[in-house]
Amino acid sequence: MFTPKTGAAWWGFVIGSLVLSAILVAVLQAVPQRFRRPIILTATFIGGLFYALEFFLPVAPMPTPQDPNRMGNFLTPYVVPFADTLPVIAGFTVGLGVINLFLLHGRRILKGATGWTNSLVFFIAFFLMLTFGILDKTAPEGSIPKNIYYLLQEGAYQALDATMFSIIAFYIVSAAYRAFRVRSLEATMLLITAMVVMLGQITVGQMLTNWLPEQSESFWGNFRVEVMRDWILTKANTPAVRAINFGLGVGSLAVALRIWLGLERGSYFDSQR
Amino acid sequence: MLRVLRFLQTVDRRFLYALLMLVVVTPFFINFQLPARVSTATRRLYDTIESLPEGSFVLLGVDWGAGTRGESRPHTEALIHHLMRKRLRFALLAFDPQGKKLAQNIALRLQEQYGYREGVHWVNFGYKVDQENYLKAFGPDIIGTVKQDIHGNPLGQLEVMKGIKNANDIALLLDVTGSSTYETYIQFLQGPYKLKMGLGTTSVMAPEAFNRLDAGQLVGLIPGLAGATEYERLLGIPGKGTRATNSSNAAHLLVITFILLGNLAMVMERRLRAQGGAL
Repeated sequence: MFTPKTGAAWWGFVIGSLVLSAILVAVLQAVPQRFRRPIILTATFIGGLFYALEFFLPVAPMPTPQDPNRMGNFLTPYVVPFADTLPVIAGFTVGLGVINLFLLHGRRILKGATGWTNSLVFFIAFFLMLTFGILDKTAPEGSIPKNIYYLLQEGAYQALDATMFSIIAFYIVSAAYRAFRVRSLEATMLLITAMVVMLGQITVGQMLTNWLPEQSESFWGNFRVEVMRDWILTKANTPAVRAINFGLGVGSLAVALRIWLGLERGSYFDSQR
Repeated sequence: MLRVLRFLQTVDRRFLYALLMLVVVTPFFINFQLPARVSTATRRLYDTIESLPEGSFVLLGVDWGAGTRGESRPHTEALIHHLMRKRLRFALLAFDPQGKKLAQNIALRLQEQYGYREGVHWVNFGYKVDQENYLKAFGPDIIGTVKQDIHGNPLGQLEVMKGIKNANDIALLLDVTGSSTYETYIQFLQGPYKLKMGLGTTSVMAPEAFNRLDAGQLVGLIPGLAGATEYERLLGIPGKGTRATNSSNAAHLLVITFILLGNLAMVMERRLRAQGGAL
């Protein structure tokens, strides 16, 4: 069942899954509100239990060079098929998001509200990418749909993505210029640290202390800007990052346990009561 | 005097934006190379690849998109150059939807230069979702989990996969990323299988990654554009990293200059006010 399908079998599985999902959603919608919470909590618990058992059951957990055929315990082969449910669920949430966007932007266009042209652009972009994204899968090399998809994906989407990210640089320059001021002891320390790291990152900065001997040759080599940068990154920064990560790890474990055992408050169901 | 000092502390952001644009764009039209020192982190990764025997299998994670292309593409290019030069087999694996195609283009472009062939010397596993669970299944059974390459060819029939069954057969794990995907690689592949792992990451992510380098979980690290330039110097192939690093240098200098000017003006203004003169 959990093997790739092709041809008619693939279509059969896709249509079957859609029908099954529609029935499942309809059944869940029909369930009285007081029963929804236990259903969701049970599903969450079973999901968590699967991974906990798969991880903790100590039966040949990993292959080794001596025994490369060790394949974990009896649950391990189901890890990927089980995890495949995640993109399926994510697909439904994306579907929900698309419906919301359609309703919101459709209403704007119909009412001619301020910025309705932006909503129109949303619909055009959505249907262009959807159409040519699907056609791209089957169209032969060099065909018009393939070229249009290439133009949309590489010419527009990727360029826009890179542009959006690049714009951050302008804000960083402006923010750094205004924020790094020697107003207090802490601010001064932050400024000095930032300057050393920035200078150590660039060739021109490193050239400033090139006249000093190498670190291995003399004590004064410790004052080369790239040596100071490395010291800040590995000796001052690393323990701080590690401490934060420990805190995050413990916190994540606590949150995961609360969700798994259905103890989490302030969730969707609490607001429904 | 006071007006000048005030101006230096409150330079209009549009003026800064225009200057930044100028200093970033100009170096692209002037081809020059400044001497760069190679950091220990970068050299360690280079030395690790150098030490691998010919034909070893390397897994190269390409978890980046157009947003971090400026840094991640030079990393990927430099690493693929090195892998091909050393005659190593490698597989591309992406947990970013754009990474699959972007890295494929790089490998296709470089393969002719080194006489490499897709499917024989390298393979693209494609884009996968849910990194944690995928890697959990990938470790014990690579062929059974990946099943086919991006063209739909059965993985078990490809020459590049000869003798590769599970993660123990991976000689080196590399990840080029603009996010924290390397953490998951460490949890589910590097740690359990005691793999050697190297990382190419963006400058903003590098401070966190030094933690893993210090702990010995990473054998080497290429931090940001500076790291890419260092790696290109080691390879003797000045590429996109070397070119772009001049812009990065200029932008850093601009920020440093304005921070210094702003602070200097602030201190001088305080002194003038304290003296009560020149007001």
